[in-house]
Amino acid sequence: MRSRNASSQQCWMLLNLLLALAVGLAPVVIALAQQPAPHEDLLTLSGEAGRSGGRLVVSLRAEPKTLNPVLATDAPSREVIATMRADLVHINRATQLTEAALAKSVKVSPDGLQYTVTLRQGLRFSDGQPLDADDVLFTFRVYLDESVHSPQRDLLIVGGKPITVHKIDAQTLVFQFATPYGVGERVFDGLAILPRHLLEKPYQDGKLAQIGTLSTPANQWAGLGPFRLKEYVAGQRLILERNPYYWKTDTKGHRLPYLDELVFLFVPSSDAQVLRFQSGEADVISGLGAENFSVLSRQRRGYTMVDAGPGLEYNFLFFNLNDLDGKTAPEVARKQKWFREVKFRQAVSAAVDREAIVRLVYQGRGAALWGPVTPGNRRWVDAKVVHQPRSLDKARQLLREAGFTWTSGASGDSALIDAEGRPVEFSIVTSSSNADRTKMSTLIQDDLKQLGMRVQVVPLEFRSLIDRVMQTKEYDACVLGLVSFDADPNSDINVWLSNGGTHLWNPSQTHPATQWEGEIDRLMEEQLTATSYEQRKKLYDRVQEILAVFQPMIFLASPDILVGAKNTIGNFHPAVLEPYVLWNVEQLYLRNGAGNSGR
Amino acid sequence: MIERRKLAKWLVVLVALHGLIACAGFFAPYDPVEQDRQLPYARPMKLHLIDTQGRVHMRPFFYPLRMREGSFDQYDEDIARAMSLKLFAEGPRYRLLGLLPCRLHLFGAAGARICLLGTDGYGRDQLSRILYGGQVSLLAGLLGAGITLSLGLGIGAAAGYFGGWRDEVLMRLTEPFLALPWLYMLLGLRAFLPLAVSPLEAFFLIVMVIGAVGWARPARLVRGVVLSAKERDFVRAARGFGAPHRYLLWRHVLPETSSVLLTQAAILIPQYVLAEMTLSFLGLGVPEPLASWGNLLANLQQYSVLTSYWWMYLPALAIVPFFLGYLGLASALQEWADPFKVGRGT
Amino acid sequence: MRFLSRRLIHAVLVLFGVSILTFLFTSLAPGDYFDEMRLNPQIAPETVVALRAQYQLDRPLPVRYARWLNSVVHGDLGYSFSYNSPVGPLLWVRARNTLFLTVTATLLSWGLALPLGVWSAERLGGLPDSLISWMMAGLMAVPDLALALGLLLFAARSGWFPTGGLASLGFESLSPINELRDLTLHMFLPVAVLVLTALPLLVRHVRAAMAGVLHAPFLRAAQGHGIPRRRLLYRYALPAAANPLISLFGFSIGALLSGSLLVEVVMSWPGIGPLLVEAILSRDLYVVVGGVLLSTLFLVVGNFVADVFLYWADPRIRAGPVAK
Repeated sequence: MRSRNASSQQCWMLLNLLLALAVGLAPVVIALAQQPAPHEDLLTLSGEAGRSGGRLVVSLRAEPKTLNPVLATDAPSREVIATMRADLVHINRATQLTEAALAKSVKVSPDGLQYTVTLRQGLRFSDGQPLDADDVLFTFRVYLDESVHSPQRDLLIVGGKPITVHKIDAQTLVFQFATPYGVGERVFDGLAILPRHLLEKPYQDGKLAQIGTLSTPANQWAGLGPFRLKEYVAGQRLILERNPYYWKTDTKGHRLPYLDELVFLFVPSSDAQVLRFQSGEADVISGLGAENFSVLSRQRRGYTMVDAGPGLEYNFLFFNLNDLDGKTAPEVARKQKWFREVKFRQAVSAAVDREAIVRLVYQGRGAALWGPVTPGNRRWVDAKVVHQPRSLDKARQLLREAGFTWTSGASGDSALIDAEGRPVEFSIVTSSSNADRTKMSTLIQDDLKQLGMRVQVVPLEFRSLIDRVMQTKEYDACVLGLVSFDADPNSDINVWLSNGGTHLWNPSQTHPATQWEGEIDRLMEEQLTATSYEQRKKLYDRVQEILAVFQPMIFLASPDILVGAKNTIGNFHPAVLEPYVLWNVEQLYLRNGAGNSGR
Repeated sequence: MIERRKLAKWLVVLVALHGLIACAGFFAPYDPVEQDRQLPYARPMKLHLIDTQGRVHMRPFFYPLRMREGSFDQYDEDIARAMSLKLFAEGPRYRLLGLLPCRLHLFGAAGARICLLGTDGYGRDQLSRILYGGQVSLLAGLLGAGITLSLGLGIGAAAGYFGGWRDEVLMRLTEPFLALPWLYMLLGLRAFLPLAVSPLEAFFLIVMVIGAVGWARPARLVRGVVLSAKERDFVRAARGFGAPHRYLLWRHVLPETSSVLLTQAAILIPQYVLAEMTLSFLGLGVPEPLASWGNLLANLQQYSVLTSYWWMYLPALAIVPFFLGYLGLASALQEWADPFKVGRGT
Repeated sequence: MRFLSRRLIHAVLVLFGVSILTFLFTSLAPGDYFDEMRLNPQIAPETVVALRAQYQLDRPLPVRYARWLNSVVHGDLGYSFSYNSPVGPLLWVRARNTLFLTVTATLLSWGLALPLGVWSAERLGGLPDSLISWMMAGLMAVPDLALALGLLLFAARSGWFPTGGLASLGFESLSPINELRDLTLHMFLPVAVLVLTALPLLVRHVRAAMAGVLHAPFLRAAQGHGIPRRRLLYRYALPAAANPLISLFGFSIGALLSGSLLVEVVMSWPGIGPLLVEAILSRDLYVVVGGVLLSTLFLVVGNFVADVFLYWADPRIRAGPVAK
């Protein structure tokens, strides 16, 4: 547990889904099924046709906690659930565009307020029970029920009002939005359609939370995903088997998925995961750190390692800009005079050696960042944001302009002092279990030492850190990272809105504290209801440019998505969106049919 | 006397080792926090006497390392530049024993860095980090073990000697002390401390707390021995003569515990030194960029380091003599004080 | 009998005390289980507040304690936030695996430490003694997790051992002989780590205790009587040196449940290690409390066994206060 394992894992917090894009752009490969039972509206996937059979073994860093898609918040649960559920509209992880899934079609009314969804005909849950509009109706009732506390509920509140759903007939439903929604049908991604026949009773008894735990017997749980529950052994493994009723086929009309079994082994340390993969006991590995990736690449034996390029994780340094009342942390309040000075933040940004961060922290397998949108997010990244190279001279000049000066300190180094003669000293808190961010902080500390700033790195245990940053607000500066789980700007809207709960440098403001924050608010609200991509892109570019000038977050770097798989695995096409490897699990197959005997 | 010679031998060894650490500034060629971003994970540099042309040099020299194109941890020797090693060279400023400002180092080189034990992921000199790291870690180990043992001795002796309800209460108290999740208390403590408190001070405070809550084990060991010792014939006899408790404890009972205590000490000090690794993971240890043995050893717990950078194991090797020294001293002391020693008897 | 029932009452008191203190401690640490959601841009702060309220985390400590006690009475040991299920069943299954591992390791490490320590004490200062001292110092300098990783690496490279876990996939379909073989192979490395890390302490104490009695007059007398060396060492010297070893053995019992947590994590052993470590870090409060209570139980038992042994093994103590 201690080493770097917890590192990138820290970002498991985000479970994004959703968003953007009008309907027309959607389906990549959709055609109606030719073959099986005539009344079944199956979806045919393009791509290499594989062969049936075999078992794929995947290691998970922690045990999944629940199989219930309504309540799952932790990464391992979501990874498992993703292979057992289906949504109305799905974001293709490779193209980052939407595709019709359980919905055969989605029609948007001209005013953008009504989405008419037609379900595929004749689909069945993994226990053989048919799917119809009542299941969908029930699903949305559950997600929207306040007493259920589903973390996805907040996504279904548009324009301050929950989405409403009406049933037209057994296959057709209408979703009504209060305002036009720029995210469009992406909103449906990740919202698993629930089996009403199994869940209605527990739901009405208020016992939904107790359903779909891992101790649920396999015959009392069903979904629409490619796999269904077979066996769970506490602390050891979860075995899923092929869902015989799955609604996708390959180009040859062969019903997917190919694999007979999908095994999740619980391997609680990332280093042990690497070893499992190396010894052949696990077939795929994802979420690797750069060091482990290069170790595996060096000693390649029957597996392929892939650097899928920068993902959607962005790491950044931010200062405490909260409006502190005099009582809490007077020490911090005094330093805020510097932090609030734009030129101070710009100087820090100019002094940070991003190239060294990419090289030393990610061994070159990452990208330096000057904004929150990583190069991996090709559709939304703003090319106009300047990639300013490191310049200590520029930093010094900015500090001088802001009234800072230098004196020679006791030890002979020059120390930065502010206009009132106080030495510039502050601490950077970061998560002690995330080796990458601790390393970044240590590099920044050394960078800023050259400006005469005395910086202390204080690694804190993760929850202590969140408590300080979000609750007590007793910190000077913090290095943190977020992972957008979807490419659409909306997935992180609460980071940019000044009243957002994750507006980290000064969360949940009742009124924008600065004029530029107000401007960002306006732009973000506007893109939310704009429906064309070009229009939204223009607005979001503007947001990125404002962030680049005012530097409320000093963006540092983004790691590449690093994965590997055995050579015998077909259709292995890693994506930079989660789940990186298993996103097309229904198409994965074993070339020689050998499978993992799973010693 | 053979025991006395042995004792002297171990004392000399330990004093020498600690002297090395105390004067880390002199023996270490560099500042332990100084980064060299062109030199991360550089392997130990070799000292040569014969250069590539076959010429013999009087002074040992080395070839500086140059990073291979396109790599992040592979290096080649730059054979065009032979840099000679200088003894008693001028180098970065430090304070000898924390007092005397000084620039003289045992060795150094002008124009390039000489890292005899390689560098870490920031290009910091490992040798310097091991030496400086010892200052923090040994102090932490001695402090923690000292507190633990004195508390353990006091409580264990009281429980064993007085017995009865006092024994019962104190021994039941050991159970919660061994079982409670102190970690949460330490996290609470860290949250309570303002960030302005220097991380090093915070660390020593935490070591003291850990030392203070660790008394339960030695206390139980001591108590067992005391239970037995106080019923020895000579103790009973002395008690019969009306000797006061203080005399009995001091003169007859506590000496019996010396073997257990010394063994505990020799084992506790290393344990406290290593405990810092766990503490670091929880954000309670010695923070970067300061060096400590705990955070040097913590590197070993990464698979990539284990397979790729063997020299990161040198810190573990370097501290073995210290741990051995404590073990040796403990047993030498024990032999020296052995009541049954030949020729002394009881 | 009176002694036993008194100890039983005390044990219950200790458990009570520990549970109260654990509750107090957990509330001292900043942050709670739902804090992580605060960093998720997709979850509104109000949802976090509502969830905390649903799980009663916003209630005062005594109320939460009372509710927890009630659930203990029902055998649930509280409710895990992350697993959405009672803590008891979560712990039982895994505790079994942990005990399986640690009991083996404890027996083995004592089985090795006794002869090594005796041997070392017998040749005090000789070659075997120095050799053992060096080895022990070396073992102390290598962190247990690094040792575990090293062994795993060895397993992956050599292919002789599985790289963690308790059993192979398809274990159920193996013949009994192969089942045993599979289990042994899986256990070998974690047991090795636990034994190697426990050895320095045990060997050292055995050595010290033995060295203390080897020169005792009664042993020299026995030697004079021509009693064979081996019998002398193990039959006469060892019991006389047993006192601190008995207390140590008590600790070994006490540590059965809690001594292997991190090694289990690295070795993917399906014991309570991975569960508890994750629960501690994620503040899954009642899982932590349950784990702490269970290990307290072992400590209490361990200490009890040690006390009984102490009285039984040492005639002096027996003659002392107990007789009164």
